[in-house]
Amino acid sequence: MKRTMTTRRTFLASSAAISATGFVLGSANMLRAQEGKVLNLRLDGDNQILDPGYMVGGTEIEAQKQCLPFLAEYVRDGDAFTWQPTSYVTRLEYVDDTHIEFELTPSLMWSNGYGTLKASDVAYSYDRMKESEWSGYFDALDRVEVTGELTGTLVLSSPFAPFIMVTLCHGPGAIVCEQAVKDAGGRFTTEFPAVCGPYTYSATPGQRAVFDPNPEWTGPAPGFERVVLQVITEVQAAELAFEAGEVDCTELGPDALARYTQNPPENTAVTTAGELQYMWMGMNTEHPKLQDIRVRQAIQHAVDVDSIIAGAYANTSSKSNGIICPGLIGHRSEASYSYDPERARALLTEAGVDSLQVTLRTQNWQERLLAAQIIQANLAAVGIEVEILPMESGPFWEMGMEEAGDTWQELELWLMRFATVPDPYEATQWFISEQVGVWNWERWTDEEFDRLYQEGQAETDPDARAEIYTRMQQIMDDTGAYVWINHEPEVYAHRTDISIDAAPSGELNYRNFAQV
Amino acid sequence: MLSYLAKRLTLSLIVVALVLLLLFGMLYMIPGNPAILALGTRATPEAIAEYSARMRLDEPVVMQFLIFVGNAFHGDLGTDVFSGRPVTEVIGERVGFSMALIFSGMGWAILLGIPLGCLAAVRPNSWIDRVTGVFSVGTIAIPSFLVSIWAILIFAIQLGWLPAIGAGEPGDIGDQLSHLILPAFAIGLGWVGYLARMVRASMLEVLSEPYIRSARAFGLPPRKVTGYALQVAILPTITVIGMGFGGLISAAVFAEIIFARPGVGKMIFDAVSDRNFPILQGGVLLATGFYILVVLLSDLLIAWFDPRVRQSL
Repeated sequence: MKRTMTTRRTFLASSAAISATGFVLGSANMLRAQEGKVLNLRLDGDNQILDPGYMVGGTEIEAQKQCLPFLAEYVRDGDAFTWQPTSYVTRLEYVDDTHIEFELTPSLMWSNGYGTLKASDVAYSYDRMKESEWSGYFDALDRVEVTGELTGTLVLSSPFAPFIMVTLCHGPGAIVCEQAVKDAGGRFTTEFPAVCGPYTYSATPGQRAVFDPNPEWTGPAPGFERVVLQVITEVQAAELAFEAGEVDCTELGPDALARYTQNPPENTAVTTAGELQYMWMGMNTEHPKLQDIRVRQAIQHAVDVDSIIAGAYANTSSKSNGIICPGLIGHRSEASYSYDPERARALLTEAGVDSLQVTLRTQNWQERLLAAQIIQANLAAVGIEVEILPMESGPFWEMGMEEAGDTWQELELWLMRFATVPDPYEATQWFISEQVGVWNWERWTDEEFDRLYQEGQAETDPDARAEIYTRMQQIMDDTGAYVWINHEPEVYAHRTDISIDAAPSGELNYRNFAQV
Repeated sequence: MLSYLAKRLTLSLIVVALVLLLLFGMLYMIPGNPAILALGTRATPEAIAEYSARMRLDEPVVMQFLIFVGNAFHGDLGTDVFSGRPVTEVIGERVGFSMALIFSGMGWAILLGIPLGCLAAVRPNSWIDRVTGVFSVGTIAIPSFLVSIWAILIFAIQLGWLPAIGAGEPGDIGDQLSHLILPAFAIGLGWVGYLARMVRASMLEVLSEPYIRSARAFGLPPRKVTGYALQVAILPTITVIGMGFGGLISAAVFAEIIFARPGVGKMIFDAVSDRNFPILQGGVLLATGFYILVVLLSDLLIAWFDPRVRQSL
């Protein structure tokens, strides 16, 4: 028998050969987007928890919208957002201020042999949500009365105008299959126990999520047979993938948006989903340096917001005039102050301030730092010296919270951005008196503001609501504690031969994508 | 040899324990409430409390460390706080992609860098030496993330020859290999220049040794003389390659992010951002173990190549 000897020479040769196999060119038949009726999209991270009660949000909501029933969905009405019943219901309407009746579409099947979609599934889902991590969305819901196999009534504990927009259209409004969830032990994570929608769902962690056709679906057919989402965490990498033709639609960052607006790649369209983010520079009204309202008003007049939007955001976002975002009831076209450095200097003189030094805290993101530097230059022009303090997300998000330490006492100026839902009530809730030391870091209270907050939720007339929220923003202006900056949009680039459907808050609804 | 191995393994265990201890200490120094970062800024107090309990954040750090080490000895690295899946399973899904990237990246760098260094050394001050010198310094100086972006722009977007993102269709080896080319190129390019410079310097030193002059005087063919010289000159390079393999697990993070590939480096990066401590601990444990293993293997390889080292063990 011949024996094989391993020598240094054969070892080196073998190692070289093994390494070389790593470079064997693969198939030249690379996958390209738009082959057949496959939609290729980006996923910004693995979907961790698909259960609406315990989800993180974002793309998990996108997955729910493809595989689970909802009673209502967002619809754009000109520049505003409103709602419409989904294909899962034949009727959804307010019968009075606290009762919403629904009737489900018959014969819609759950997968895995769990039978048809029933009103009892709706009751189970929403009762379950009241005990979940997303229970806040169901505070207004008292109970669901099941009146028939397909009919029921959502009973609110008190009038709450935004219930359909905020709760039923959004991720927490997803309906799960009662029996399937019970069989799964009451909760689920990375797999749906049963689906009732045009697609089934599967995922390879770290790589992709795939939506394949659901053979049991009898509702409206989706525009694409199959949807493949590649996990691409960084938005810049997704933009490169879009330009390489490997995804058909991707979110754009401010830099890419500016570039695409001026010089779009071939066969590319840009769609704005919504502008439901509001950014401002806040001031601590209790800080000794800023206690005098004239100093705060001087800062309001000293900041040139237009130059921030041009310099830090390449004119890709709209100027903000308050916390109510464009497209929502109560959105204002102007604030009650304007850029006026002369007025700022006069106010400082009137307040007897001649050498003010303040600290501006911001998250260490590129656009925020640029915005902070422009503010620094603006305030220097009126004699206020600003030290910029860039911060990592962790300490930034708790610096104004009393329970997280004493930093709230040292806060002077900061750049802040909140996201909201398509109803004005949500944005106002963070500034009521009981939020002082929680999210109201400006630390002011106003009885009228608190009263209007309650009235705004109960009021159902849109004009009356608009008046309420306009007045609330005026009260915020009058505190002198805010310089409104901008509303950053959720923008998507996509192929021109594809129409997309994005919720105002940016979640994509793949089932409504279509080839045009 | 066996006693040497036993000593090295004991030392490795001590290093792993120290790294984990350091990691646990550092986790507590990261500012910010991990529960708020993980659950979002609007998380309810109940959700924060439940998350803290799930992550054992409410227990003393020493207790957390002992529980982790005890479980790790039984192969249990805990569960992902978000999905509830075992950490070993999450790591298992990614480790293959990282290894493929690291070995192919370093593999092509070795295949090109060592011959380039040899060529430059046997023809000092020739045009090939000068070109190698410029190429080496150039590739060492360019960061791998920049190479990654340019590689995508040129080979995926402009020329359309290679895919830009992902790891390829599961089960399709050809597709997976085509997805490996650009990331491997990006992380290996700097190493080509580095290895070429190292081998050249080492070879020049060895080629001036008396025994090489003697070999030449005896009329041995130049190729054979170069082979003998390389056997000695390669020893410091093997050590560097060993450490390089270990370091690539973190260097690959950029490539994994830009090329949207799954991998252990990116998993650790995401775990830091999400404050997903079990995944972070498991990932660091794996990276440390891998580093220790490749350094040990490179030491053993040197002993195999060099009888002087072998006899001293």
